[in-house]
Amino acid sequence: MIKVDNLSKVFIKKDGTNFYAVNKINFEAGDGEIVCLLGVNGAGKTTTMRVLSTIFQPSEGSAEIQGWDIRKHPDKVRENIGFLSGDTGLYNRLSCREFITYFGHLYSIEDQLIEQRIKVMADLLDMNEFLDKKIEFLSSGMKQKVSIVRSIIHDPPVMIFDEPTAGLDILTARNIVSFIRDCKQRGKCVLFSTHIMREAERLADRIVMIHKGKILADGTLEELRNISSQIDLDDIFVYYINQHTDEQELRANEF
Amino acid sequence: MNFKHTLVIFRKELMEVLRDKRTIFTTFILPIILYPLIIVGFNSVMMRQTKVLEERGATIAVQDSVDNEISHRLIQGLVRIKNYTFLPYNESTKQHYAEKDIQCIVTIRDSLGSEGTQFFKIYITYDKSKDQSRIVYEKLSKQLSKVEKELQQERLQISGLSPDFLNLVDIRERDTSSAQKKMGMFLGMFLPYIVIMMLFAGASIVAADLVAGEKERKTLETLLVSSVGRTEIVMGKYLTIITLAMLNMIVNLFSISFSLQFMLANQSKEMSGVTLPINAMLILLIAMIPLATLFAALLVSISTFSRNIKEARSYEQPLLMIAMLMGMVSFIPTIEISNLLAIVPVVNIALLFKAVLINEYTLSHILITIISTLVLDLIAILITVKLFKTESVLFRTEEESGGIKVLKKKPKYALTPYNGIVYFTIALILLYYLGGYWQTKDLYNGLIQTELIIIALPVFIVLKLLKLKPKEILRFKTPKPAGLILVPFIAISASIIVSIMSQLINTIFPYPEKYTEALTQLFNMNEAPWKVFLAIALLPGICEELLFRGFLIRFFEKYGLQWAVIISAILFAAFHLDPFRFVPVLLLGFLLGYLALRSGSVYTSMLSHIINNGLAFILVTYSNSSWVKFLVSEGDNIHYWLFIPALVVFVISLYAFHKVTAQGEEVCVE
Repeated sequence: MIKVDNLSKVFIKKDGTNFYAVNKINFEAGDGEIVCLLGVNGAGKTTTMRVLSTIFQPSEGSAEIQGWDIRKHPDKVRENIGFLSGDTGLYNRLSCREFITYFGHLYSIEDQLIEQRIKVMADLLDMNEFLDKKIEFLSSGMKQKVSIVRSIIHDPPVMIFDEPTAGLDILTARNIVSFIRDCKQRGKCVLFSTHIMREAERLADRIVMIHKGKILADGTLEELRNISSQIDLDDIFVYYINQHTDEQELRANEF
Repeated sequence: MNFKHTLVIFRKELMEVLRDKRTIFTTFILPIILYPLIIVGFNSVMMRQTKVLEERGATIAVQDSVDNEISHRLIQGLVRIKNYTFLPYNESTKQHYAEKDIQCIVTIRDSLGSEGTQFFKIYITYDKSKDQSRIVYEKLSKQLSKVEKELQQERLQISGLSPDFLNLVDIRERDTSSAQKKMGMFLGMFLPYIVIMMLFAGASIVAADLVAGEKERKTLETLLVSSVGRTEIVMGKYLTIITLAMLNMIVNLFSISFSLQFMLANQSKEMSGVTLPINAMLILLIAMIPLATLFAALLVSISTFSRNIKEARSYEQPLLMIAMLMGMVSFIPTIEISNLLAIVPVVNIALLFKAVLINEYTLSHILITIISTLVLDLIAILITVKLFKTESVLFRTEEESGGIKVLKKKPKYALTPYNGIVYFTIALILLYYLGGYWQTKDLYNGLIQTELIIIALPVFIVLKLLKLKPKEILRFKTPKPAGLILVPFIAISASIIVSIMSQLINTIFPYPEKYTEALTQLFNMNEAPWKVFLAIALLPGICEELLFRGFLIRFFEKYGLQWAVIISAILFAAFHLDPFRFVPVLLLGFLLGYLALRSGSVYTSMLSHIINNGLAFILVTYSNSSWVKFLVSEGDNIHYWLFIPALVVFVISLYAFHKVTAQGEEVCVE
């Protein structure tokens, strides 16, 4: 369960002025639900996810993960989330098993349980062949599978995927997509970000559109279609962006 | 902090490092192979070469202008030298010598002594810059002395005196140092330096990779979202660096000292079988641990700050240079460790190392060295953890260095730290070469030219080029009268405090005499007092404040005003190109920076600077007047008791200044 409450993240620009990468956003994601954060590059998706996963401190507002406040209990939040992004790196000199075990230890999981989970996931993702190979010798598809297991080794109730398929080939991307579906089936709360409309369309139960740090729309595909009277998600997206720009201009004219 | 997590990270990092063949090679295999190869190999080649030179023949021309029995005896003595050919001197000899066919020319002349006795003058012409020529000279002169001795003995016998008649004094040495101590002294010269370098090298092998490398490979994020805290991550990495630094250092230390012992044993019989005592080695290893931790903390912070490995490596360089310079103290023969020097990082380890090797150390030196280094280490690691928790540092993305491109695009953003350092470096080079040239030509005018043309003028030119307003940038603002009135009190009391401090430093590291002479010369220029005052107080006060508190301080304000004051003070102290006055000038720099920023006006720091320099001028110029004698004792030292009243005045006036300037100022320190 994710609850985002008036969350903002401000960066200070070089000339000393404030820049709102994320501007007072609100949304929720429930258990067993896939929520997609949809937006163009630079919309504030990664910043949002980094704040939610406690890499960044929020500037204003807050958020809760499984009831834990990200400001007050960052350690509890980290225990409850699995984080995966498309361009995550791995430690090349470790074997897959060592790599996953390393993260298992960082989550203070018993060796026995780690072994057990590796076994289950390796069977599921067809990884047994290369489990003891050094990561530097793996293909990008194999590496992504290792990253998947790494992200779920502590069996977190909330999964956060930051552009999980960015830069991956089709086959590897499919693995990720089916992994995301699998997470939903296990009752996990899933938040994933993308700028690819099709991915959002195919996967998401609910779509949260973000643009220039602000949320433009939040709803199921059907709801968004009804409001915008467009069918294609591309068109819906453009509709909301235009509306947002109009609003801004209107406000600018008022002053 | 969860120590278990730290250990998990440490174990994994160490495993990764030890799987890297290059690291294994440079850390362990290279030193084990290299030193025996270099030291023993080099030594044996050198000994062989010396032997070859010794045995090599030479051709020597002999000119005998005396041609009597004794000169014949001398020549006969020379001819006995093995492998040497002797030719009579003729017209072509000089040409042969020039063409190096002849290595030496021996000329024998005679002369009359005061009692009418004949004595011989022997001139040996040779080229001292050539090894072989030098060996020939040594052999010839040795042989000639031997013949002289024979002749003396004969003369004594003829006079009926015993051969011992001339042996009045016989000098013998009785060396109380043991062979072990001698070896310690020999090793103590350069081993500390090498060991400190190796400690740094071992630490830097992995440091850049540990955080900057994680950023580069995009693994840092996964680590940050795992349930391990940031302090634990830093500590895990820090332990890894310490371990590698110590391992590298130990391997190097043992490899070098064994090779050297082997070499020394080969060279002299006295040294054979001599080894360094194990307890000395243990003390050294224990004392090195704090230094390893200090290096590790500094290197982790560099790695944290850097965006990639390349950047981290380039930031490591200045740190390496500083460590190198400080480590070189072991080469200086007379400096020995004292309680005060034991506080100075790196220097203390180098000197302690030296002291332990010759077995002359005290427990207090070891404890002070270890504790002071650990305190610094603690500060460094706290800063590193803070850096690691600072988003803008850990996720630094933009290129902020500045450079020419930024200048062209946005002159407003030209005042970056990078550009500040570049400007400072150029000014320093000009000061050293151009200013130095002017001042050696004419000290008085040179000083004035330096202040006006090198220090002040370029500031205005650069501001003009950047289209920035000098009034705004340089803080040309009328200060509040109340603040300004307090400045003389602050300046004079600070001057006295700093002078007393440098007197204390002087008693510990006495300035070289030449240095004191040069300083006195500065005050004794043959000019009217007002002109001297102009050159050493008024102009420096105005021009140097324009540069440091007006202009350069602006480049560093993005780090916060405290850092701007600190960095500008360090540059100010470095600008004086005078290691003996570095600390006093640095302290004055802190004060001047504070005064300028607190009051928002460069005029306050100018006034303070002029008063400070003026006070020194007055004390020297009017040293005969009675009130100066009240302040200054014999030998130009300020009375130590003045420290207390000066400190009281300083604290009160500074507090008042702080209060007075508090309201209505847009900038304030603290």
